[in-house]
This record gives sequence, C-alpha cells and structure tokens, in this order.
Amino acid sequence: MFEGRLGGPGGLVSHRRQQQIRTVSLYLTAFLVSVFVLTPLYMMVVVSFQSPETLFSGGTLTLVPSALSLSNFQTLLAETDTVQYFLNSVLITAGVVVLSTTLSVVSGYGLTRFDFGGKRLVARVVLFSYMVSPIVLAVPLYIIFFNFGLLNSYVAAVLSITAIAAPFSIWLMWQYFQNVPIAYEESAWASGASRWRTVRDVVLPLARPGYISVAIFSFAVAWNDYTMVKVVLSDQSMYPITLGSSLFLDRLFVGWGEQMAVSVLISGPPFLIALFLQNYLLQGFNLGHE
Amino acid sequence: MSTIRERAPLAGHLDSARLFLLAALVPLGLFFTLLWFGPVVYTVVVSFFANPLGEAQFVAVGNYVGILLSETFWLFLQNSVVFAVSTTLLSLVVGLGFALVVDERVAGRDTLRTLMIFPYLLPTVVVVYLWTLLLDQNLGLVNRILAETGLITDPIAFFATVELAMPSIVVASVWKWGSFAFFILLANLQAIPDAYYERAKVHGASPYQQFRDVTFPHLRGAILLILLVRGIWMFNKFDIIWLTTRGGPVNVTTTLPIDIYDRTIRAGAFGEGAALATIMFLLLAVVGVVYFLVLTPEAEVTD
Repeated sequence: MFEGRLGGPGGLVSHRRQQQIRTVSLYLTAFLVSVFVLTPLYMMVVVSFQSPETLFSGGTLTLVPSALSLSNFQTLLAETDTVQYFLNSVLITAGVVVLSTTLSVVSGYGLTRFDFGGKRLVARVVLFSYMVSPIVLAVPLYIIFFNFGLLNSYVAAVLSITAIAAPFSIWLMWQYFQNVPIAYEESAWASGASRWRTVRDVVLPLARPGYISVAIFSFAVAWNDYTMVKVVLSDQSMYPITLGSSLFLDRLFVGWGEQMAVSVLISGPPFLIALFLQNYLLQGFNLGHE
Repeated sequence: MSTIRERAPLAGHLDSARLFLLAALVPLGLFFTLLWFGPVVYTVVVSFFANPLGEAQFVAVGNYVGILLSETFWLFLQNSVVFAVSTTLLSLVVGLGFALVVDERVAGRDTLRTLMIFPYLLPTVVVVYLWTLLLDQNLGLVNRILAETGLITDPIAFFATVELAMPSIVVASVWKWGSFAFFILLANLQAIPDAYYERAKVHGASPYQQFRDVTFPHLRGAILLILLVRGIWMFNKFDIIWLTTRGGPVNVTTTLPIDIYDRTIRAGAFGEGAALATIMFLLLAVVGVVYFLVLTPEAEVTD
C-alpha cells in the first residue's frame, strides 16, 4: 500500500527531507493565503478611515495612516442617498428572510412527515433549481412582473430574491427535520395535544438551530444580491445599498475614500455574522451552500 | 416497540393528520409553480417568438438558428467555460492547500478559519470595489508593487487590457468564492480518523505517501462535488463580470449570462434572450444529469 518511488528507504527524497519540506510548505501556504485574503480587507479599512488630504499625502495611497478621520462617512451621509439605500436593503432583506425561512420550515416539515411517492423527484427539482443561473430566471420574472404591473416594486425584489434563496433553505430544513425524531411529536399527540400545538411547542423548538442557519443563509443571499434587483428595479429610490453604491463609481464627488467607506458599511452585518454565528454557517457550508 | 411506527410515519393516522401535512406542502407547490415552473415554461414559449412583448410573431426555431449560427455565441460559450474552469480549479488548489494547513495543529488555526469566512460573506459589489482599487492603474497596490520591484515600467489597466481582463476577474472571483472549496475539504479532512495516519506511519509511509494513499482517496468525493457544483455556479455568474468589465474589452469577458442581460434588459430582444436562456438551461440540465448520476445527492433526504 505504501511503497512508491518518491519516499521510503532508498527513495528519491528521504523521509526527513520530506518532513522538512512539509513543515516549510505548511507555513508558507498559511502565510501566502493569509496575505491574499487580508490585503484587500486591510486596504478597505485603512482607506475608508482617512481624509482625502492624508490619503493622498504621499502622492499615492497612504496605507500606513498617521491620522484617522470619519470624513468619508460624513460625506456619504450628507451628500448621497446611502441612508435610503440602507433602509431599502434592510426592508428587502427582512422580507426575503421571513418568506424564505417560513417557506422552508413548513416545506421541510411536510416533506419529512408526509409519506408519498416521488420524494426523489422533489429532491431533484429542489437541487436542480439551485443550479440554475439567477439571470436565466430573472429574465422571465421581469416579463411576468411587467405583465402584472409589479415591476419596480419591493414585492418584485423580495419575490425574485426569494426564488434564488429558497431552494437551499428548503434543502437544509428538509435534511434538518430528518434528524428530528417523530417520537416526540407522537408522545405529545398521545397526551392529547392538538396538531398545531405540537408543532408550536415541540417541533419548532427542536428545529431552532436549523431555521437559524436558514435565516442566516437567506440573509446572506438577500444582502448580497445585485443581479435580481438590477433586473426588476429601475426606480433609484428603491435601490438597496449594493445597487445604489454601484452608482457612486460614476460620480465625481465620490472618491476612493467614500467608496471604501460604503464598503465598510455594507460589510458590517456580514462581519458580525461571521464573528458570532460562524458555527451555524459552517454547518450550512457542509450541506453545500453557494 | 415503536419501530414499526417510525418506519411508516403517520401511515395509519386520521385523515385530519394527512390533511394537515398536505397543507404544509401547499406553499412549496405554490413557490415552485409561480417562481420556477411558470417562468421556465414561459421562457421556452417566448423563445419561439420575435418581439414577444409587443406584436409577437411566431418564428419557430428562428431565434435558436440565429444564435447558433452567430460567431459570438461560440465565443461567449468559450469565455463562460474558461471562466468557470479556471476559477474552479484555482479555488480547488488554494482551498486544498489552506485546508491541509488548517487541518494541522498549527498555531492560530481557528483565526485562520474565521478569516476565510469574510470574503465569502462580503457582497460581490464590495469585492468588486476592493479589487478595482487594488488593480487600479494609477493608485492600485498591485501596480505600485510591480513598478517598485521593477517588473513593469508602465502601469497596467488590468480590467481594460485584452489579455489581462479575464485573469483579473478570475483572481477576484477566487478571492471571494475560494472558501467554498476550503470549508468542504476541511470538513472532509477532519473526518479522516487519525488511526489511518498512524498505521501508515507504522508501515513507514513518507508524508507524500500518506497524502497519496490516505488523504487523497478520502477527498475524492468532495473534489468531484466542488468541480461540478462550483463549476456550474461560476458558469452562471453575472454580477462580478458585469460590475468589473461589462463584458469588455471587445467581448473578451462576455459570458453567456452577460449576453442574456445585454440582449434582453439592455437591447429589448426578449425572444432571442429567451432562446439563449433556454440553451443555457439545457446545458445546465446535462451537467445536472451527470451530477445526479455520479453523486446521487438526493439520497441525503430520501434514504
């Protein structure tokens, strides 16, 4: 099993040498990947917290600042619609999280507890819908919303983002409910609890880690979304921050300082999730989130 | 004693129980009918018409013939494949390298792991802003480093140079989506029992042989999953390409999703756009069949 040309007694590279190479390459990889991941993040923070005067004081971007300032954030608040865009983001994201989480909890429960043929087909439909390009779905949704007079509304934004967020949520809840034994429900029924009370008092508390994960992933999809809102919204007063901030790139009074400042603001909520709720996230990753 | 009931849950229960559960499946049915089957069927129907939003004219497969005979379609398909394959393979290499590191008991491994979550959670627009600044011709850090080390004399406009636009988007994409491969591989690495490595050492296996004979065989399924699923998702990407290059310069970064957006929302040619969307849908269906046959992912909920 373990013989080979490279190692072993008389191999091309001795064991000790391989061990050394291994240790060096481990630390080298750790270093290189850390630099690759951290440099853009460092630059974002450092640029955002400097006034234009200090930022360009050396003729190029100052990356080791001597003085920090909130002037970029003040410019954003005073001269752009950042606050309005942020409120739109919160509104649309909240809509998607509520709709997608509710749908997946109800569906996950039904799919695991109801016995019917064709579960395999349903599973494949859910998984396949998760692989379809958002833009392929966005175009017909655009036409359909157009026909129903829903184009350019919060409803259109929430529905179209839910369309891409829900398949994974349903998949995750379906898997989750499989591990919630039905025995608990049956003993509740046996002691005379109604079906609805059983769901509320027994099933939902047991499923809590599952729907927290689902809510986080729906949040991430909605907060991230650019494609769907780009297609279904045209009124700038409804733009979420992702779409709204992309307009800044074309404006003269918005420089790199403001652009990095808005990036910091957009990154705030995901950053908090990564810090405090990462275990729920990791669980979802292992079930295959996009 | 309750094994029989567990094997056939609710089979013998009252009709009200079945109604309750049936009601739980209604939202699912509505969701897929209204937001998936409806739009997909509608797309296929529309793809046989010219000017479907105005005075629709039935043109049979005219839209398809037009697309398949155009040179741009094959170029854009090629761009899509190049983008999908290169981002996926690079993510796999970076993710595997870093997963092997974090799987070792190196100092600060939890910090390294948390670090990898950030790029993944940052919205694509933010990733685009960061890399636009990093690769900026006048102020970008990359140009500064290249100039100071003497590798270049004139600063490079990465996203506007024909040869470099695609590689630049690939690097930014790996930065954002590389963590997907990392987390899946890490989970699989951590599931390999230590005893396997100890037995290998007893047999005198070198680090390379341990990787080849113990580690790699356990990662094969995960690697296949990453190649297939990450590949499909990258093939589908619209936002990162649109925000960095709009498909330019001279179409070198135009992929099929960009072309669909250009034809429909920008140019208003919904018939052609729908035909293109249907073609993309069929391409994905082929990969989807491979995915279902090779990895049988649905077994996780039906077995």
